[in-house]
Amino acid sequence: MASKIVSLKVNGKIEELVVSALMTLQDVLRDTLDYTSVKEGCRQGGCGSCSVIVDGELRLSCLTPIQEVDGSEVTTLEGLNQSNSITALQNQFVEKYAAQCGFCTPGMMVAIKALLDSNPNPDREEIVEALAGNICRCTGYLPIIEAVESVVAEMSGASGE
Amino acid sequence: MAEYLQPGSVEEAAGMIASHGSSLAIVAGGTSAMRYSAPQAEQVMGVRGLGMNKIERSSGGLSLGAGVTMSQIRESLPIPALQDAARGVGGPAVQNMATIGGNIFARQPYGDVAVVLLALDATVTFSTANGERSQKLVEFYDAGAQADGLLTRIDCAAPGGELVYLKCGRRRFNSPTVVAVAACIGIDNGKVGNACIAFGGAGKHPMRCVAAEQALIGKALGDASIKAAAQQAAGACSPGTDSVATEWYRRRMIATYLTRALQQIAAG
Amino acid sequence: MAIKDLKIVGQPVRLRDLDTHVTGETVYYEDVRVPRLLHLKMHRSTYSHAKILNIDTAEAKSSPGVVCVLTHEDLPGKKKFNALAGVGVGPEDESVLAFEKVRWKGESVVAVIAETPAQAEAAAAKVKVDYEELPVVLGIDEALKDGAPVITAHWPNNHYIFPENHRAAQVRFGDVEKAFAEADHIVEDSYETQPIEQAPIETNGCIAVPVGENRITVYSNTQGLQFSLDTTAGILDIPTSKLRFIGGTVGGGFGGKVDMQVEPITTLAAMRTGRPVKFKYTREEEMRVSSSRSAWRVVIKDGVMNDGRIIARKITTYQDSGAYLRFSSYGGMKHCGHMPGPYTIPNVWIDSIVVFTNRAPSNAMRGFGVMAGSFALEVQMDTIAETIGMDPWELRLINAYREGDMKSHQKEVEDAGMVETILTAAKLAGKQLPEAFQNMSSFDQKAG
Repeated sequence: MASKIVSLKVNGKIEELVVSALMTLQDVLRDTLDYTSVKEGCRQGGCGSCSVIVDGELRLSCLTPIQEVDGSEVTTLEGLNQSNSITALQNQFVEKYAAQCGFCTPGMMVAIKALLDSNPNPDREEIVEALAGNICRCTGYLPIIEAVESVVAEMSGASGE
Repeated sequence: MAEYLQPGSVEEAAGMIASHGSSLAIVAGGTSAMRYSAPQAEQVMGVRGLGMNKIERSSGGLSLGAGVTMSQIRESLPIPALQDAARGVGGPAVQNMATIGGNIFARQPYGDVAVVLLALDATVTFSTANGERSQKLVEFYDAGAQADGLLTRIDCAAPGGELVYLKCGRRRFNSPTVVAVAACIGIDNGKVGNACIAFGGAGKHPMRCVAAEQALIGKALGDASIKAAAQQAAGACSPGTDSVATEWYRRRMIATYLTRALQQIAAG
Repeated sequence: MAIKDLKIVGQPVRLRDLDTHVTGETVYYEDVRVPRLLHLKMHRSTYSHAKILNIDTAEAKSSPGVVCVLTHEDLPGKKKFNALAGVGVGPEDESVLAFEKVRWKGESVVAVIAETPAQAEAAAAKVKVDYEELPVVLGIDEALKDGAPVITAHWPNNHYIFPENHRAAQVRFGDVEKAFAEADHIVEDSYETQPIEQAPIETNGCIAVPVGENRITVYSNTQGLQFSLDTTAGILDIPTSKLRFIGGTVGGGFGGKVDMQVEPITTLAAMRTGRPVKFKYTREEEMRVSSSRSAWRVVIKDGVMNDGRIIARKITTYQDSGAYLRFSSYGGMKHCGHMPGPYTIPNVWIDSIVVFTNRAPSNAMRGFGVMAGSFALEVQMDTIAETIGMDPWELRLINAYREGDMKSHQKEVEDAGMVETILTAAKLAGKQLPEAFQNMSSFDQKAG
């Protein structure tokens, strides 16, 4: 069994890791680097709770072989906290009760960040489609959508929220 | 315990496939292989780094690298049918990862983009230990979808008519396929001159439906010929039953969705 | 005191853990860092009903990374348990690891503990079990038929036997047969619901950690922490003081994390190996193995007068408990109390039967015993309205219970609000009701 060395930047920090064949990015983030906001809900690519941003793109860490992200930049919710990039979104989630058990929430946050990075002014349809890969079993989705709409309205300086 | 291989070139990859054969699993985006083939394989070969992600358009048609992702199709390939198909593959994260090549090998009922490629009568090119080899995608499927090399490229000519793709799923977005249909119909002097109809979720792999095509050739595209084509399609396919839908329901949706696709083309 | 003067009632309440949910800092059981962690994977039955002839763990034991393999022979004490034993329900019918026979496809047979999940899974696949297949019952009718294969000897007719040898949890109120004879209409129908998987995003799991002096700390996402502790102690025949259960942070439960299916075996594995052990259901196990909401069949026969009064309601309901009892008798009784619905009916007869089949054991989900019943009752109400040509809102208002009415399970209605609820809903839905109905209240005389 051959191990390899993989080097990648996670949440702004360079990590050099010894990895074995089929370790996933999810395994590394959670178990090696302790970024436990990355959740494992299915390991099938179906629930989205493992969502992270790799080289600027939303990806599922549970299906990403770690060796494919050698040299890449990865961001998890912990990284977004560090850079205070989603404080307004987090406040809106609290205001709108957009989380109950909280298990899907980190994946949602990351997916929303990816959406707003590429489209700062999405309408409801675009929000719904952007979150189509993130399953929530508790909220019924509406509070989450409303939280995003509120943040969008805030950011674009619209009145009333 | 698996070995992870990262070939530096397409030729090297072809060599690895030749030496390891069926004990080797290929991972491009990972959305299929990381679930199904890779966990049990003795060797896993990652091909993301091989640069097979170019889209080339010419007057003659289209050349797509096997590593082109669903997101790339949506963003850079203004062929509505292909974009619609890519849009229906998983959610945004999956679309960033999943490739056309993976889609061609995806187990049924997945493989929506492959359905459109069939309707475009695409040609697939493999890099093997003995050099490059190409064949029609439809023949590749008919022969059992066994690859003896690395799928590197998909070529198709410009569509010979109007091309429509429709998908029957369980949800609007991020839904596995009940059935998918792609129809490319060329009208000549008021009659159907050429027809290319393909289905997903209708058999062991994405398939052309010659019976439905024959029901249209030489006829005006209207209620009568559309009905006949739909009937032929429902009878000619062998959909399966799985956790997404039953064979019973799929057979009916094949007829329904072909009808809708053809009506959309007829309406112009 | 006006609502505006109240500090809590009527005011929005900040959810305690939302702050850490949105930063991803909420600690679920799996986020607890435990050094030298072992992983448990379960070898499960591939038959719905079969005798176990032989279990061969030799190849599994010598598989790479394997530290320990547990079969029923490693179970202490009585080997069998029952989730409600602590409250006097019996008998113990289920075993943490099957022996003698398996009663459903997916039943736990052998636990394999290894250094990595992949190694445990590979080894679990190497367990060899010899079975002798037995005839299978997969439906309520099949199970209750005369001469049906018996799933658990204690219940020879494949249904739970309630105290005093009753076939069902029962309600008997008035005389339904006499009322049926007097009724203007008889409306009868049968309603079926299917098993529904709760599908929380976080699957069932726990980590058991030895902490010295034969004590084990268990991090679990169970919905019933104290319950799980008690049951685990009972199964393993150890004092409860040896266990410390830490949890309460559940990544979605909905009734799907009440079964105590992971804690007992994981705790045993930790005791045996002297190392922390984690047992986490895969998504496949969550879908196929973890209990779903029971499937129900509700058969209703109503006697109805032309003026809309339901004067008799006879209900026989069948709950598909699957292979084991778990909480089904409790669910069946709860269901019984919920019927005949929020209506005052003078003659009621209910039999609530818990049926055993060779299906995955079922359990609670969001209104245990209530959902299937409500579905059946309200569709039935609409059918009645259609049959007698009455508006379905008016039918419900006529029959809705009033303050002081006697319910069929011998409890007087207190703090009635049903009529007011229907009227408010009508207003919100834009439903126009005749004035006589708009003037109804929980404190008026019933119409007719």
